[in-house]
Amino acid sequence: MTEALLELNGIAKSFGSISVLQEVNLDVRSRERHAVIGPNGAGKSTLFNLISGMFAPTSGTIRLQERPIGGLPPHVINRAGLARSFQITSNFRRLSVFENLRLGVLARHGIRYGLFRPVSRMRAVNEETAELLSIVGLERRAHDMAGDLTYSEQRALEIGMTLTTRASVILLDEPTAGMSRDETDQTVELIRKVTTDKTLLMIEHDMSVVFSLCDRVSVLVYGSILATDTPPAISANAEVQKAYLGEETAT
Amino acid sequence: MARALLPLALVGAFLIVAPPFLDLGWQNALINILIASLFALAFNLLAGQAGLLSFGHAAYFGVGAFAALHLMARIEDGLGFPTPLLPLAGAAAGLLIGLVAGFFATMRSGVYFALVTLAIAELFHSLAPHWQGVFGGEAGLSSMRMPWGGLIFGSLIEVYYLTLAWVALSILLLWGLTRTPFGRLALALRDNEQRVRFLGYNAHITKVIIFAISAMFSGVAGALQAISNETANYVLFASGVSAQVVLYTFVGGATIFFGPVVGAVIFTLFAYLVSDLTRSWLLYQGLIFVLVMLYAPNGLGGLIHQHLRHRGQLDWSRLARPYAQATLGSLLVAAAAIFLIETLAVVFSRDYAVARRDAGGGFPAYEVFGLNWTPLSPVPWLLPLALFAAGLWLILQARHPIGTLWQRVRAGSEPDVNPS
Repeated sequence: MTEALLELNGIAKSFGSISVLQEVNLDVRSRERHAVIGPNGAGKSTLFNLISGMFAPTSGTIRLQERPIGGLPPHVINRAGLARSFQITSNFRRLSVFENLRLGVLARHGIRYGLFRPVSRMRAVNEETAELLSIVGLERRAHDMAGDLTYSEQRALEIGMTLTTRASVILLDEPTAGMSRDETDQTVELIRKVTTDKTLLMIEHDMSVVFSLCDRVSVLVYGSILATDTPPAISANAEVQKAYLGEETAT
Repeated sequence: MARALLPLALVGAFLIVAPPFLDLGWQNALINILIASLFALAFNLLAGQAGLLSFGHAAYFGVGAFAALHLMARIEDGLGFPTPLLPLAGAAAGLLIGLVAGFFATMRSGVYFALVTLAIAELFHSLAPHWQGVFGGEAGLSSMRMPWGGLIFGSLIEVYYLTLAWVALSILLLWGLTRTPFGRLALALRDNEQRVRFLGYNAHITKVIIFAISAMFSGVAGALQAISNETANYVLFASGVSAQVVLYTFVGGATIFFGPVVGAVIFTLFAYLVSDLTRSWLLYQGLIFVLVMLYAPNGLGGLIHQHLRHRGQLDWSRLARPYAQATLGSLLVAAAAIFLIETLAVVFSRDYAVARRDAGGGFPAYEVFGLNWTPLSPVPWLLPLALFAAGLWLILQARHPIGTLWQRVRAGSEPDVNPS
């Protein structure tokens, strides 16, 4: 299957006179795991913000299942089937872990502004939330405040929240940043498990994560895509080595 | 749950049984307490639960009052609308104006939101005196409660029970709202508006709905006040009314559902009891606000809640002494502050200036708390200083043991298990 599920064409973004992205072309195929790597300041997070609707692109088109989504508000893009996580943990810290997940599940069930029925009686919603809770391994923490979780638990919740709306395209922004080796391995397994049958686009710095998890890699350098290929081909790519990997492989 | 309901049941029983045995002054005070409580809870839906601090809630309170008065006037003219349902007019007006105002105000968050709400209330405050047909000009509108279905509404006690019924119903609805998906969404919005958007919610619509519901219940509170007073004027839109509800809510505690009620009860009682005793009562109210914000930022309701939550782990045999010490210390400090403030109020008053002129520029004796004092003697200045020092010493002494005991309680307690 080579058809693109998420397709970026000639995407450019500038903030005032500062140009962050120029001419980004990217195809994410259905059900592939695709990584975006690149040095700090290359524009990776900006790219995610454009795809997920935080900002509108200055020019270019973004299509999700052939539907143009560039410049649409985040909640519309989410309902179209694209969910994202945040690099800096972004949960509802004064609500319980269970409630954090349930808010997403409620949105998926279309109970967005339910005013007339207690949420505790919505069985389907609560069961689905409990299921998600066990998938991300946070059952024991269900009733603790999200703000009281350890760092790696918060990251797991972050991933869990992107799953709540059952989006077919998942964007993860540095899901393993700041984790120990063990925690990283666990997170990789979690991501592998939850993105089966889904399409994953992730920003990742850790090359071992990229190698073990991803089908293809795109290298973003100075606001444009330098190359897109399989992980082995990317690490063998001379241009990529020169621009980015070179500094690391040289040591 | 049952334990939480017991105090509520007691308060409810008191509110139902006691008033016929109270004098008119107290009945009126209770009506004001009920109205202030509802207003504060409606405000807190927005401020505490959704994290949107409005500085202009007087607008919706006032709109509710004027709407009720217009309907009352129609009833006087013979319209067959039941008098007990008058607050519905306040609800409708609050909801409608809340939807419009909320649509614009909630386009922004934080300071900008607060400023827009302030501006909207000021708009009403400045327009009302000129729009005679709607707000009755500077004199305002007046009307009479008409009898309905055997109820005369001539006596205060009938008004009291009408108010009680509406406030109880409204509080029940506001509490029920916190259990619904939308109520939970409001809390999420307070924590992280951005994430709410990325979960597929339209944050703006969410905020408009919360704003409108808050305005609707504020309108009910305003209508109840109009029914009780049978009159209203543009002063209802004054920034002081908006500030008052902020004060109630934050002194009571914005993070707890019934917190704002605590603040509303305390300040309404305070106004009722203290405003007759001293002209400085607003200063005392301000001092209480500042002290609570500094030393109990979660409000008095937060303090009560904290003690209830850990009641199993609190070792009262060891806490009692430092608590008594701190209470005594606080009383001494309060006495010192009150003495000083009252002394200054006398010494800087016009009467005293006149007395000084009569005394040829000297400092004649004056009276505070039924005793005579002379300003040039050290006594009236050293007395509060000594009281203050003694009180502060007691508080500082008690601070350390209380701190350690509480630290132990917090360390020993399990993570808060609070399924909802």
